[in-house]
Amino acid sequence: MSAGENDGFSDRINGIKSTLRVVPDFPKPGILFLDITTLLLDPKAFRDTIDLFVERYKQKNISVVAGIEARGFMFGPAIALAIGAKFVPLRKPKKLPGEVISEKYILEYGTDCLEMHVGAVQPGERALVVDDLVATGGTLCAAMNLLERAGAVVVECACVIEVPDLKGRERLKMHGKPLYVLVESMFDATTS
Amino acid sequence: MMNTLKISFAVLKPPTRYLPSSNSVISQKLHSPSSSPSVKPPTISPLGRGKSGGSRVYSTFAARTNFKVNCYSNMAEPNSDLKQGDVTVKDDRIARISSSIRVIPDFPKPGIMFQDITTMLLDPVAFKDTIDLFVERYKEKNISVVAGVEARGFIFGPPIALAIGAKFVPMRKPNKLPGAVISEEYSLEYGTDIMEMHVGAVQAGERTLVIDDLIATGGTLVAAINLLERVGANVVECACVIELPDLKGRDKLGGKPLFVLVN
Repeated sequence: MSAGENDGFSDRINGIKSTLRVVPDFPKPGILFLDITTLLLDPKAFRDTIDLFVERYKQKNISVVAGIEARGFMFGPAIALAIGAKFVPLRKPKKLPGEVISEKYILEYGTDCLEMHVGAVQPGERALVVDDLVATGGTLCAAMNLLERAGAVVVECACVIEVPDLKGRERLKMHGKPLYVLVESMFDATTS
Repeated sequence: MMNTLKISFAVLKPPTRYLPSSNSVISQKLHSPSSSPSVKPPTISPLGRGKSGGSRVYSTFAARTNFKVNCYSNMAEPNSDLKQGDVTVKDDRIARISSSIRVIPDFPKPGIMFQDITTMLLDPVAFKDTIDLFVERYKEKNISVVAGVEARGFIFGPPIALAIGAKFVPMRKPNKLPGAVISEEYSLEYGTDIMEMHVGAVQAGERTLVIDDLIATGGTLVAAINLLERVGANVVECACVIELPDLKGRDKLGGKPLFVLVN
């Protein structure tokens, strides 16, 4: 479920939503890109974004926050710090210097790969996956696979924005995991 | 010429929270400690290069160098923006941060000793202390912009920005930022690269910090400084977790001061 539906967070949610920017024809013609960098330029909206996630997760014994390169790095660490969890970056190939495990995933055309350090996560740890936006859910599923292969339990995936038409929520449901977002978008977008 | 910067606290103060306007909900402190400072660092399992786990080489930054427990800064004299003697670093915070950083030999290529901060991110106390050390330095300095260099600057910059009430501006590789950008070319060991910043992210006169995990040759930081100055911002200081002093990046910053935690 998304945060806007209930319990008085709506002022903060509306404030956050108002900072988001749509950039047409990026990265290619016909795509309306949802840009969170304008949210980061508004300290109150950015503060509220982090607070909303922290309020949800702080009492849930989460010991790992995994953030997906690169925009997941902008939100994940602040959440991890506030709830006392580790931050684990999930990266494109060949960026992490030590021994890694890799997970391939499907793009619109072709495949990509996400990596995580061996030893970053222990079996049984409760983990969140954080990214700025969920579209098809492919990247989030790759992230969950990495964490589960290391024996962690993924509690939830958390994103600032959801693009419902791209059915990421359904894909996560097939994986058996819930999705929490702050803002739903009516536009098509991409996660590049 | 490097001066040892002495920074002192009696008590660790919580970082300054951004004070919202009157109609918003009181929000949770960013850095509420959930574990006591006496928690031991987690055991970090050794990792080596190569997927089959061949030779497992592991060492801490501390073990391989005579690390110093002071912060180093080439800040200008006391009549400049940032005065010396503001705060004192507790030795044990720096020691813990330093020992949590892992050295990976021969990455990304033979002969390079790569300083890996991801192991510090696995130690919530060390990570929190890292952010706190930067926040304590910058919180009363009217910094309105924290610029973080892709990608590891994105890990440290936003928590600092949030705690001091500043904007966070990502400085990115080409073609990542949507919308109008300005670009700066900079030199690599072989060839060049490009860094971009959004048009309109920063206004003329804004006081800014540049954050990255590590300074080596300084080329990346110089590109970031240039982008910010081209829009009229005032770069107050560059801040990194780690400095590789032999590469003399500090001297290449065009006179801008550099603050690092581990040297």
